[in-house]
Amino acid sequence: MKRSIPLAICLVMGVAMMIQFFIPHPISVGFYDLTTKWIRIVGAFALVLGTGSLILYHVDKLQRRRQGWYYSIVTLVAAAATAVIGLGWGVKTGSPLQDVIFSNLLVPLNASMFAILAFYMASAAYRAFRARTREAALLLVAAFIVMLGMVPVGRAIWGKLPELAEWVLSVPNMAAKRAILFGIALGAIATSLKVILGIERGWLGGGKQ
Amino acid sequence: MKFFQYLLKIDRRIIYIVMGILVMLPLIKPLGLGVTSGPRATALFDAIDALPAGKTILISVDFDPSSMPELYPMLAGVMRHAFAKDLKVLLCGLWVTGVGLADKAVTEIPPEYGKKYGEDVVYLGWKAGVDAVILGMGENIKNVFPADYQGHPLDSLPMMREVQRLRDIPIAFAISAGTPGYQDWLLFAQSRYGMKVGAGLTAVSAADAYPYLQSGQLTGLLAGMKGGAEYEVMVQKKGYSRAYMPAVAAMDSQSLAHVVIMILVIVGNIAYFATRKRGA
Repeated sequence: MKRSIPLAICLVMGVAMMIQFFIPHPISVGFYDLTTKWIRIVGAFALVLGTGSLILYHVDKLQRRRQGWYYSIVTLVAAAATAVIGLGWGVKTGSPLQDVIFSNLLVPLNASMFAILAFYMASAAYRAFRARTREAALLLVAAFIVMLGMVPVGRAIWGKLPELAEWVLSVPNMAAKRAILFGIALGAIATSLKVILGIERGWLGGGKQ
Repeated sequence: MKFFQYLLKIDRRIIYIVMGILVMLPLIKPLGLGVTSGPRATALFDAIDALPAGKTILISVDFDPSSMPELYPMLAGVMRHAFAKDLKVLLCGLWVTGVGLADKAVTEIPPEYGKKYGEDVVYLGWKAGVDAVILGMGENIKNVFPADYQGHPLDSLPMMREVQRLRDIPIAFAISAGTPGYQDWLLFAQSRYGMKVGAGLTAVSAADAYPYLQSGQLTGLLAGMKGGAEYEVMVQKKGYSRAYMPAVAAMDSQSLAHVVIMILVIVGNIAYFATRKRGA
């Protein structure tokens, strides 16, 4: 029962939503409207579950003194402080959550983390990007063309470089991307069908029958 | 031989210092390399420029502060363009961490053009559910967002009387740093409700959007800092804004950063092949 009822709900709803997409009747539209409300409500519950899971994981890590346990203190204190400030003073413009937590903490911290990437990328490219094979050499040449063609200095070096970069992006890149997209789409259809028909049951999680 | 071996083992701290100096210098003293607008940015600009005054555009703020330097100039540029053309701007977001960024834009940009909140601009905020949010907005925006970000009921905002659902909005501009983002707007708003969708993306994810551009599903694309700079230049050329252009200013830094990385890769390869041949 624990598994058959969710599987039956999944099958009925999956088939119903597929049929609904092709029927513009008011009853069908009403049903669709109702289900999108349900999805939003389920999504809100998922947020609560996610927060609970995060807290439990870090409390457990702290109790067992696992490697890097002190970072869990930062996470838990930050989560508690954000929740208290948000619940106490609200989340609107001018609130401490916006002015202190978001503008003065999250924005500079996030921006700094991302800015460091430029330095790591320069160092990693210097150490790892070697034209050891023909394919690697081709990748290197393509990367140089796009890197230069996408910035103003490329045009200053050679006027046709941006056009060449555009060609690399619009022809070979697009051909590869399109093939990947088709593959992903077909894979998504196959997986969706497997879930709807109850062949793929990983989403049910573990536990006894 | 020793020279090439030294070149193979340049201390990473030297690389960091060189990179840091070359990124900072153009920000202090711009090189003035200039930015020319490409066809993808022009397509988005033209699509917004062609809208009659009074129409509403939707901007989805789907990025967080880590992508702010790359994507915020696009948000500011498109909002300035819209207000200069007397268009109305409706904002929402699929990323909870983007809420503060959208709020910043809504607070700072409309006053430059004398635009009023509720009449010319409304910010709906963020709701959990992604696809369900877009699909719900397609049927009735008030069902998903009964009130705006500030808590005003949508019925009390004059602008929202004319905008009931996505079909009332001719174009959406999704500024995305990842997932959820522009693909969700394409899948649901564009394919189901026939809404035009333009995208503003980080440079690293822009290549993924090219197939959607060629198929006509995307109406224009701003790719990375360069896309933002191209849009800023077009907005200024048309006389829609005289504001500072952060993306244009940062393009010189990006140019030098790319050149540094390329020189390092070339040096690394020369040293690698020189030492390998001699070793063999």
